[in-house]
Amino acid sequence: MNELIPLMVIVPLMAALLISAFSKFNKATKIFAFVVALCLPIIPIASHYGLHYFGGYAPIMDNVTNVMYHPAITYSFTFLQQIFIAMLGLLTFLVVFIYLTKYKKVSGPYLFLLFLGTAAVTAMLLTDDIFHMFVFFEILALAQVGIVAASSIDYSYEMALKYMILGSIGSPMMLLGIGFLLALTGSVNVTDIAAAVHNGLVDATSPVFLLSLGLIFFGWLYASGLPPFHTIKSGIYSKAEPHGAALLQSFTVVSMISIVLIMFRIYSTLPIFEVLVVFFSILAMILGVSLALTQTDFRRMIGFLAVGELGFIGLGIGLGTQYAVTAGLFQALNEIIITALLFIGFGAIVNATDEVDTRKLGGLLAYHPKVSIMLLIAGLAMAGVPPLSGFQSKLMLVQASLNCGFPEISILAIMVSIATFVVFVKTYYTMFLKPKPRELELEKKEVPRTMIFAMGILLIIVILLGIFPDIVTAGISNFVGGIL
Amino acid sequence: MKLYDQIFNVVKQFKKLFSPGPVTNADVSGSITAEIFLIVSLVLAALLLRHISILLAGFVTLILAVVLISNIPLIPKFRIEQEDSLEKMLFYAVVTLAIIVTFIYWGGNFV
Amino acid sequence: MAQTQLAILLTSAALVVIGLYSAIFIDNIIKKIIGISFIEEGANLFIVAIGYKPGGVVPILMPGMDTSWFAANAAYPLPFGLVLTSIVIGASTLAVMLALVMVLYRRYGTLSTSVMLADTSKQEEYDE
Repeated sequence: MNELIPLMVIVPLMAALLISAFSKFNKATKIFAFVVALCLPIIPIASHYGLHYFGGYAPIMDNVTNVMYHPAITYSFTFLQQIFIAMLGLLTFLVVFIYLTKYKKVSGPYLFLLFLGTAAVTAMLLTDDIFHMFVFFEILALAQVGIVAASSIDYSYEMALKYMILGSIGSPMMLLGIGFLLALTGSVNVTDIAAAVHNGLVDATSPVFLLSLGLIFFGWLYASGLPPFHTIKSGIYSKAEPHGAALLQSFTVVSMISIVLIMFRIYSTLPIFEVLVVFFSILAMILGVSLALTQTDFRRMIGFLAVGELGFIGLGIGLGTQYAVTAGLFQALNEIIITALLFIGFGAIVNATDEVDTRKLGGLLAYHPKVSIMLLIAGLAMAGVPPLSGFQSKLMLVQASLNCGFPEISILAIMVSIATFVVFVKTYYTMFLKPKPRELELEKKEVPRTMIFAMGILLIIVILLGIFPDIVTAGISNFVGGIL
Repeated sequence: MKLYDQIFNVVKQFKKLFSPGPVTNADVSGSITAEIFLIVSLVLAALLLRHISILLAGFVTLILAVVLISNIPLIPKFRIEQEDSLEKMLFYAVVTLAIIVTFIYWGGNFV
Repeated sequence: MAQTQLAILLTSAALVVIGLYSAIFIDNIIKKIIGISFIEEGANLFIVAIGYKPGGVVPILMPGMDTSWFAANAAYPLPFGLVLTSIVIGASTLAVMLALVMVLYRRYGTLSTSVMLADTSKQEEYDE
């Protein structure tokens, strides 16, 4: 049943096109979007693992050199892709569901952007072709900009334009890097390139090869929002509608891991690759969390926290052992869920109070008890409190860095977790526990039920993964063993 | 006493960080936490240099600690450098690109 | 390396450097965007240059051609295919950027980057 593999990209892509074309039929659009969104998490779960060659061009064996060539764009679907695409599909479903119930008249172009982004990251995760990945990376950037610009928050156009201008420096650099790799190996298939590098057909110390690493790495920094792009990344999170931001951060995390896994397969022979990844991850952790501590806008604060948490993922991948990479990928999965939960939860608060400044809020525990309890658990999970899922992955990371002989990194990771906890407790106190300021007028606005439903589902996953991490880590560990 | 005065002044300088608008207890304590966190984590990260050379690590850590502590408050300076204006973002992006390319091109084979 | 190829590579390097220069030093947003799109063009030109082959033929296998002669003399077709895709993406990105600039120009009445895209976090954080 490998025909299902391309459908994971085609279904959201076609849905996006159809919805934007027929968006004047409001009711039909709503039903169609709901059905498609419901299909998104089901397709990867129903599909079998395997490879899909577009156009049916199977790999060719060169009899003279005994080297395998992949002429087709190849999608490879394993446990890692399955779990991430299913999670992404679930998140897209929840976000689309929240959006559909929030407005009477839905906007076709906005749904188009949501589905387009999902299709793009799915393709980035599946593909084994570096140029194919670049194309969807650019499409993803367009979708992200659209989601930000479509929000009704002040200054969202400015932030979208800034993101785009920075992107038009970041992505051509990545294209140049891909061009260098193409010049060296004559192929854009990652398996072929990696084989050429590991068999010694490409000189791993040649300046061109090193330069391609630098340029693709720079593109990766832009895609994942590590420094120097942490300000713009947290900015676009805070300027998107909360449910859009929940999806945006999952796009960031998935594109980050899909690009870094490709880089890992090609450049893992170079020690400098791991040094670079660890360096920028540590920088992201320090800057993200210390800037989050000084924010007064709580959307921006979660944005910076999300960027800081990305550092943990990079750390796991930069350490480079099987255990560490597994821990990093598991952390990525947890971060997608937990940050989405936080964005939706705080979005519910924005929805109910129309206020984003923590200094003007207070005493919300009495008004929105369900949301505040769920947010508390999500925050504890992000900070790494047992028995929640964040704890498991962070514990794995700390152990991995100890095993690799870097106790400093372990201490740093624990410190960042503590600082994350401080950020969260501070914000939670000022928003929910502190006495209500007199000027704050709370109209009797209810939090939409769909938001509470979405938070509940995500919370169940957080607790489940915290108690039974093995259901995910065993499979991820197998996958990592395959690429090492 | 000079260092004490400096630390005391830090709290006053945080006022500017949150202007316009009031400065609450939680914000000031958050900023002080950020200040300490920044210093400690940067010094700790500098310790990683010991994998290259122990002498270098000791040297850099000491210098970094002295420079950071004598320059408090760091957070207002840090936030000015990382505000939302496009010019600063572009500047840092291009500088990072230059550093990465230079570092990789000349240092790629030595790490 | 043929001199044509060298010239193309130098041009693409110059385009990238001009783009990076304009990203930092030019204030007018339209000029800045034009400059930045040079980076993309430079990358495209570089990839085209990879596929260049001195004295090569168009990589289309016509009837009657000898296959081994064709394999030895045809230019490498993959880069051209990639660049075609990349140009389309670049054009759409450019269009979206300019559309956003149009909206912002109506709001601010200026094209200066330092006014239009300055730090906005202070204003929005605490407006009375």
